[in-house]
Amino acid sequence: MGRAKIPRKSTTIDMTAMCDVAFLLLSFFILATKQKPPEAVTVSAPSSVSTKAAPEKSILITLTKEGKVFLMLGDDTKKKEIIHDVNVTRSLGLSEAEEAKLSKMPFIGMPLGKLKALVNLNNPLPPTQMEGIPIKDTLNNEMVDWIKSITNAYAGTDQAKLQEMLLIKGDGEALYPDFKNIKYALKKNNLLKFRIVTNSENAPAGSELYNKMKSGQKVDEE
Amino acid sequence: MADMQIKTGKGTSAKGGAKKNIHVDLTPMVDLGFLLITFFVFTSMMAKPTVMDLRTPYDNTTETDPVCNSCALTVLLDRDNVIRYYEGAFEKTTLHTASYNSIREIIRQKKKTVQQVRGSGKEFVLIIKAADAASFKNFIDITDEVAINDVRQYYIDEITGAEKKEMEQPGIR
Repeated sequence: MGRAKIPRKSTTIDMTAMCDVAFLLLSFFILATKQKPPEAVTVSAPSSVSTKAAPEKSILITLTKEGKVFLMLGDDTKKKEIIHDVNVTRSLGLSEAEEAKLSKMPFIGMPLGKLKALVNLNNPLPPTQMEGIPIKDTLNNEMVDWIKSITNAYAGTDQAKLQEMLLIKGDGEALYPDFKNIKYALKKNNLLKFRIVTNSENAPAGSELYNKMKSGQKVDEE
Repeated sequence: MADMQIKTGKGTSAKGGAKKNIHVDLTPMVDLGFLLITFFVFTSMMAKPTVMDLRTPYDNTTETDPVCNSCALTVLLDRDNVIRYYEGAFEKTTLHTASYNSIREIIRQKKKTVQQVRGSGKEFVLIIKAADAASFKNFIDITDEVAINDVRQYYIDEITGAEKKEMEQPGIR
């Protein structure tokens, strides 16, 4: 009758632009996220309340559930130097080509005596079949030699930087004596300060740390 | 409108039919895009490991750090996620048992007592000794308690023979 007719409008929206935005963001995030460095073996690290982020470049000592120890030299500039130093000090008899081959491996997880055989294998040995670096007793703690070569390679550079790079990542189920032996190797080389990789967890409510964080105080972790 | 429109310019001539628009509904594609974004953002946020500082003392030192006997709490990390602890000097005290959940309250209580007696909670000393059967997680948990309860002095030491003997007692075990 007298009612005015409202023209029906379509409620559909052009999604093309939105789609563009979504995929642009997606590609940005994929490219921006740092790729995880290759891990020797998967270990589930225990959690701590620490909030410090792990450094990008690191010398990572991994301790697995079974007590195997792997060493990952994350700083490519010094990797060759370290391996060369171990080769010379422990007279492993590796040729230059074998050294280069070894430095191309993402991590080291064999006793020193078996490194030569390892690099000459046709098929790369999967990390699960590696023996790990022997640390069991103080007489034959090869970690001491590795750490010594690391300190040699970094001699003259900023020692605080080296200490920041030294990380130990252990599986929660690993036994304490194994960790103690790694600690011994570091201590033997006068590295008294190092870091342990953990998963972050929140400070429990009501604890002193929690109250401190809440009141905005700087938490010093001395 | 919610779609891509592709004009087929030659539509009329090729088939002689009416001009056709190909419509592609992009809504599911947008959904997928944002789903993937959320996925990547969350995974990249979660996979961030943190590091915890640990300092070990220099062994070859002749310096001694006197600790008041009543200020010290010694925790022995035993197997099966059990903690044995004692206060003060080992000879004059008995071994108690605690779990990783209850140790926080014990540390807090001890710190409070030290604060009342000595006037400052900074004098409280926590001595950590791990048995060979303790796991790495146990050790991290207890050093974490140090951070949580703001313990200013803590030492990591080896278990002595007498302590080991006491831990193996049938009454304790």
